[in-house]
Parts: sequence; structure tokens; C-alpha cells
Amino acid sequence: MRLASSFRDPHGFVFERDGIIYRQVNEAHEAHFAAFLSSGLYERLVQEGLLVRHEEVTLDLAAEPGAIHVLRPERIQFVSYPYEWGFLQLRDAATLTLRVQELALDHGMSLRDASAFNVAFRGSRPVFIDTTSFEILPEGRPWVAYRQFCEHFLAPLALMAYRDVRMGQLTRVWLDGIPLDLAAGLLPSRASVRPGLAMHLRMHARTQRTRASDRSSRDRTFSPQAFRGLIESLLKAVEGLTEPAGYSVWRDYYGEADHYTDAAAREKERVVASWLEELQPTCVWDLGANTGRFARLASSSADTVAFDLDPFCVDEAYRRARADGDERLLPLVMDLANPSPGVGWMNEERSGVWARGSADLVLALALIHHLAIGRNVPLPAFAETLSRSGRHAIVEWVPKDDPKVTVLLRDRADVFGGYSREGFEAAMAPHFHVGGVEPLPGSDRLLYRLRRR
Amino acid sequence: MRARMTIVTMLVLAASFLFLPTANAYVDPGSGSFVFQALIAGLLAAGMAIKVFWRRIVGAFSRKPSAPLDEG
Repeated sequence: MRLASSFRDPHGFVFERDGIIYRQVNEAHEAHFAAFLSSGLYERLVQEGLLVRHEEVTLDLAAEPGAIHVLRPERIQFVSYPYEWGFLQLRDAATLTLRVQELALDHGMSLRDASAFNVAFRGSRPVFIDTTSFEILPEGRPWVAYRQFCEHFLAPLALMAYRDVRMGQLTRVWLDGIPLDLAAGLLPSRASVRPGLAMHLRMHARTQRTRASDRSSRDRTFSPQAFRGLIESLLKAVEGLTEPAGYSVWRDYYGEADHYTDAAAREKERVVASWLEELQPTCVWDLGANTGRFARLASSSADTVAFDLDPFCVDEAYRRARADGDERLLPLVMDLANPSPGVGWMNEERSGVWARGSADLVLALALIHHLAIGRNVPLPAFAETLSRSGRHAIVEWVPKDDPKVTVLLRDRADVFGGYSREGFEAAMAPHFHVGGVEPLPGSDRLLYRLRRR
Repeated sequence: MRARMTIVTMLVLAASFLFLPTANAYVDPGSGSFVFQALIAGLLAAGMAIKVFWRRIVGAFSRKPSAPLDEG
């Protein structure tokens, strides 16, 4: 009943009952939670859209003894993790955490943890979800969550900005944050030109190693002004990090358009839009979404998750969603051939992708050749993944003589005898009924509309 | 001026790191973060004071109200 992601905190935890998520607040947290409500902090955070709203329900629903409140928080459509976010999403989550901390200080409170897992994305908007993270400000003490903030946010952001955007994947290995000595060692020396990074990463890492047992400094009073200065300095360090530069083949995929005529691209949009209209899904997954061109057709009326393996594409999709006010699109980084697994304690603390849900409709457009030929995934395995992802599917069949497939096969032996339209239909048959097939003009590609058996 | 002060303070701080006691393997590195915050407390407080002071100066010469702190 208690969620595997919520076992470490004695102050409260999240649990599921009859498919509904609740948060239990325990006696140990009573004074802090009372101050959180009475100070007006909760109302203010919710008003500003920074914190997930909750409603209080009866204590009879408590999952374990010791409850003083049971809350029913607003549901997050699809729970995502920091290693699935692009640079811009992680930076926005960091800024959100600091903004929440600033408001907490205004109300005489403070965050006692600053984990990136305390932030979720409601579509394209980050929101703080851990209602029991707030404590009465312990006066004169430094920020207890300072190290965690640096390890969960500043270190991966700096590595992505200064070393390589793919460094974001380190957060999947170090769930408790990237160790500061590791981050300091990996950062190029030019990163130290920025005072914020030199201080909060390099010098911070060095002190951790060498002065951990220094009681005299530890017991010094930390003034409110220093506390404000710390948050301000972290905010500056985070906001000063700009998007990593780099070449991305995929980001410009549709721009190149050598494999599509304009007519084919328009027809593809028309068919996908009309099938979306007929199916009226409430939740859509777009696998291999690129910068979200087709996911955006869905997100106008459905909660849509746009998965792509290229973090540049995910950043681009996120930037557009924010700019257009598209609040129902959640772009995420994911390699379908190596999707997020169950990790953490007992491999259950953070779930794999399919353990977190599935969609009414899954889109797999211009994807099949990348998996079947580029990554050697057999067509029946692709079909099974698709059927686990959604009740309905729209799949673009890309034949072997398509120019893009020819490029994939250019420097390798063709061991893909089964890669044919017949092979595709045979692979789909055990899982799906075919509800329609539409050709794309100017190519031999076909759009299939499928319904799970 | 402000940038120069920051650099000088950072250099002094960096120099203090040249002379350090030996590490203790069984101490939570989180303790080091507490120590570090104590060490930089003066710098952070000074930074905040300069910021507030600067805002007042700018505010005095500007007809527009000064921006809230979170936009800095």
C-alpha cells in the first residue's frame, strides 16, 4: 500500500488505496505541518502554482498508525524522474525548488530536503510535490538541504552545460545526487571561472573531504542574511547556466525533410489528426517524438508524453511547449531500447516506465526502422512493446527501400530478411486488429491504425 | 567594484583551503557541507548586503520601482 518511493521519511509517506494516491502526515511532523498551514505558506505556494494542491480527507483512510492528517494530493498524470528530463526541465525544477525555499523563508520555514524527486512535471509545468518537506526554520543553522541541492541540481546542470548534455544520465546511477567530488573532477577548468560553480561545487567538494569533522566552524551561527545570500547565490549559479551547445542529428530531422515531400508530411498530419479526433484519447504517448511535431497534435486535447532519446530534441519540444502555453505536453528523454528501469532500494524505489502507466493511444511514427534495423529489435518484440504501451496505436511502416532505411543499411550486412510489410503485419497480428491503413504520398510509407485485441 | 571584492574574497577563501586537517573516513560528508556554509557565511551575507545597498542606490536614481529580489 505504501509506495516504494516513499519509505525513507518518518514524517510522512505516500500510499495508494483503491487506485488513489494519498499522503499520510505522522505525529513526528505535527508542529511543522501546523506551521506550514497556519503561516499561509501552503496557500501562497499553491496560489503561485509552485506546489501541488491537496485536500484533507478522513483519518480513517490512514495506512498506518501515527497519522495526524491524511491528504489527497492532486494527481500527477505521469510521474517522471530527473534522468528523464532535458537540461531546461532540470534547470526549471532547480529554480522552482529555490523559489519555494525563498517563500518558505518569508514564512519562517525552510525546506529540509531539496531532492530533484520532490519535483514533478504536470505536462510542461514543474511543480513541487512533497508537502511534508517543510520545517520550522531552525534559527542560526545553515541550510540542511544545501548539499542535496548541489548534488541533485547544480552538479548535473553544470556537467550538462559545461561537459556534455548526456551527463544528465548520471542522475540515473546516483539517485541520491551526483557526488560533488565526482562532479568537480569531471567539470572542465573553464567552469571554475563562474564564482557560483567554483564555490558551490569545487570548494564545497573539497571541504566535504577535508573538514567534515571540524566542530568549531560547524557550531557557528548562520545568520538569516547569510541564508538569504546562499539561496540567492545558488539561484544565480543555476540561472547562469545556459543550454549546452552541440550538434543533434535528430533535432533537425524534419527540417532536412529529404525523405518526405511537403505533401507527405501534411498528409501524415492530416491522417494522425483525424484518427485522434475519432479516438478521442485522454492520454497519449508518442514514442520517438523528436521535437514533438505530432505529439502537439495530441496535446491540444490529451495529456501527452513525448519520449525521445535525444536530449536536444526534448529541450526543443519543452521550449516550444512552454512558449506556446501547451500545458499538456510532457517531453521526456528515453531510449526505447534501454528504457528507465526500476532502480533504488529493492529496484522498486523509482519505477520503470511501464510500471508507471500506459496510454489510450501510442504513436510510433518514423520509428520502426530505427529500432528494427538500427538497434536489431525483432518486429514481434516491437509489437509487444507497443501493445503494453497503449490500447490503440498509430504506427508508420517504413519499408526497406525507403531512403532512410537505405542509409541505415549502407555500412552493414542486411540480416533483416523478416523486415517487410508482410513481416510487420504478421508481428502485429497477435496483439492488434488493423483499423485502417493510409499511404503517404511521395513515399512507400504507410500509416497503420491499430486496436489492441 | 563589487566583482573585484568577490574575487578577492574568493581568493582569500581559496588560500585558506591550502592548509587543511586530515579527513575522517567515518564522518558524513554532509557535515562538511555544514562547515562549508559556516565558512562562506560572511561572504554570502556581504553579497546580500551589497545587493540590497545597490538596489537602493539604483532605486534612488530611477523613477521605476526596483525589481523584486527574485528577479536578480
